[in-house]
Parts: sequence; C-alpha cells; structure tokens
Amino acid sequence: MNAVIDQASLEQDIARLIIDTLNLEDLQPGDIPPDQPLFRDGLGLDSVDALELALALQKRYGIRVESDAKNAREHFATVANLAAYVASQQAPCAD
Amino acid sequence: MTAIRVDAWRAWAPGLDTPDAWHDWAMAPRVVPDDGQVQPACAFLPPMQRRRLSRLARMTLEAAWPLCGDDEQLPFVFASRHGETTRTFALLGDIADGQPLSPTQFGLSVHNAIAGQWSILRGQRGESTAIAGEADTFEHAMLEGALLLDAGAPAALVVVAEERPPAAYAPWIEDVPFSYAVALRLGRQASAGSAPGGAGWQLRHARADGDRARCAWPHALDFLRATITREPSLEHAWKTRQWIWQRQA
Repeated sequence: MNAVIDQASLEQDIARLIIDTLNLEDLQPGDIPPDQPLFRDGLGLDSVDALELALALQKRYGIRVESDAKNAREHFATVANLAAYVASQQAPCAD
Repeated sequence: MTAIRVDAWRAWAPGLDTPDAWHDWAMAPRVVPDDGQVQPACAFLPPMQRRRLSRLARMTLEAAWPLCGDDEQLPFVFASRHGETTRTFALLGDIADGQPLSPTQFGLSVHNAIAGQWSILRGQRGESTAIAGEADTFEHAMLEGALLLDAGAPAALVVVAEERPPAAYAPWIEDVPFSYAVALRLGRQASAGSAPGGAGWQLRHARADGDRARCAWPHALDFLRATITREPSLEHAWKTRQWIWQRQA
C-alpha cells in the first residue's frame, strides 16, 4: 500500500518538477496525468526539454541519466514511467 | 544623409504598456520602477510556445508582434547593447559553482537567439540581423533598417531592447535605467502604402569633437519621446560619433 502512495506522490513531485523546470506557466501537476505522453502529441515536449529534464532529475534525485542510456525514450515517455525509473535508480538493489 | 520613415511604433517597459502611458512618459520622462519581475504577458502565444522566452525576448515580442501582419514577411533587426545579462550571469554562476549548464539557457545564450525565436514563432523566413553596439546601438540599428529598405524590402522591423542587468554589473552598465523595448516599423519614403501617422526623419552622422553631453536617456527611448512630442530634431553624441535627427515636414 505504501508503495502505491509513494508512487503517486513521486509522480506528483515529478509533474511539479516538469512544470517548474520547463517553465510551463498556467499548468498544475494535476494537469499532467501520469499516463499522458510527455513528448510530441501528448504534452508537446521536445528533445531540448528532454535534456533539461534529465538535468533536473539528476539534481533533484541524485540519479544519473546517461544520454545513451538504453530505454531512455521509454523512461521519459510519461510521468508514471519517470517515477518508476527514478524509484528504480534510487534503490538499485530493491529489485 | 539617410532618410528613415517610421510608420508605426510600439514600446514596453514596466508599467508602460499602452500608447497613453508612453505619451505621459514622453511629456515627463522619468525612471520607472523595475523590480526585474514584471514582464509582458505575450498572450498572443500559447503557454507551450512561451516557455523558452526570456524576459528580454518577451519584451521584444510584445513590442514587435502587432507591427508585422500575419501574411507579411519583413526583415527583422534586433538590437541590444547588453543582451541577456540576466541569463549570462546565471550561467556564469553555474560555471563558478561547478554546476552543469541548462541546455535551454546555454542554447539561447547567443545574441541572435531572440531574432531566431521571432523567426520561428512568426514563420519569418527572411533576413534578420542581431546587433550589439555601444550607447548608440539604436542609431546603428536604424541604419541597418534603412539599408534593408534600400536593398528592396517593402518595410522593416527594428527592435531595440535592454533589460536592467543584475546588480553585479552596476559598475559597468549605466545606460539601462529600466528595462525597455522599442519596436519601430520602417517604411519606404512617401510610398502609397505609407501610414498616415508615420513620421519621416533624416539621419545625419558627423564626427563629434569630443566633450558633447551624453543623452540623459537611452537613445531609443529619447527617439520615441521626440516622436511622440513631435520634436523637430534631436542629437545623440557618443564618443567620436554624433547622430543628428531631423524631422521632415
């Protein structure tokens, strides 16, 4: 149960980070559903946003996102994916 | 001697965002408070397109936007003596702290970034120029605009924009009393399409003989003041250069 709450609050946290980092005025975390695609036809982010976001995740959560990381596209696809990715990187021995 | 016709103007500064406010300012020029936070809304752009606009870019776009028709392609001159001092200072701070640089901030840290954003956001595919000169950057920008007309452009946009720099620059930057953007639409001389409210000017350059008084206001703001108050002439001196503006009847 705690894992579900943690995932939800991490998602909220990441949505806020996206809004603040990318300067998306007028948006609230609730406006970015966890499963909405962040790029292109979804929220409309682009490759520069991805770089910016990787840097922000690095600063905020102390994780390192290698630009050639496998599955980076997948990890960055949605807020939910990002939350799962951050959680897995923060606790690498948990799986 | 260069003939320059100003068909329309728009300007923005903190608290000065309507023609009436600028009219009042021109009658009694004063330093307006600038807390570095107030910025134009640029409501003509959806939020996703506003997200990478700096305050200086917003000022530029807010002033210039309506001066270009949706179906027009106009050459664009962006002029700023100091450019993105706020962004530069933040990037330098990151470097000093050993922090990685923001890709967005770094990518937009070149002087022609705002001209590029204008081009993208307005679908402008023509010439654009980004100028940084000295205190007479305004005159150089107007000269550039006049040359674009001379080369065949039907009209040209010239925007001079300065942002009040971070306090650390205070010992070196003394000619930005407050943030401002002045946008001028230049047109061809006495053409059939000339706006009725337009103003014709002659710009003459002479060698200044030394200790001429500097203008109390940034040249672009002083030119705007003279435009509004219909002053017949004005002179701006900087170092060895004297710029003489004469209004045409």
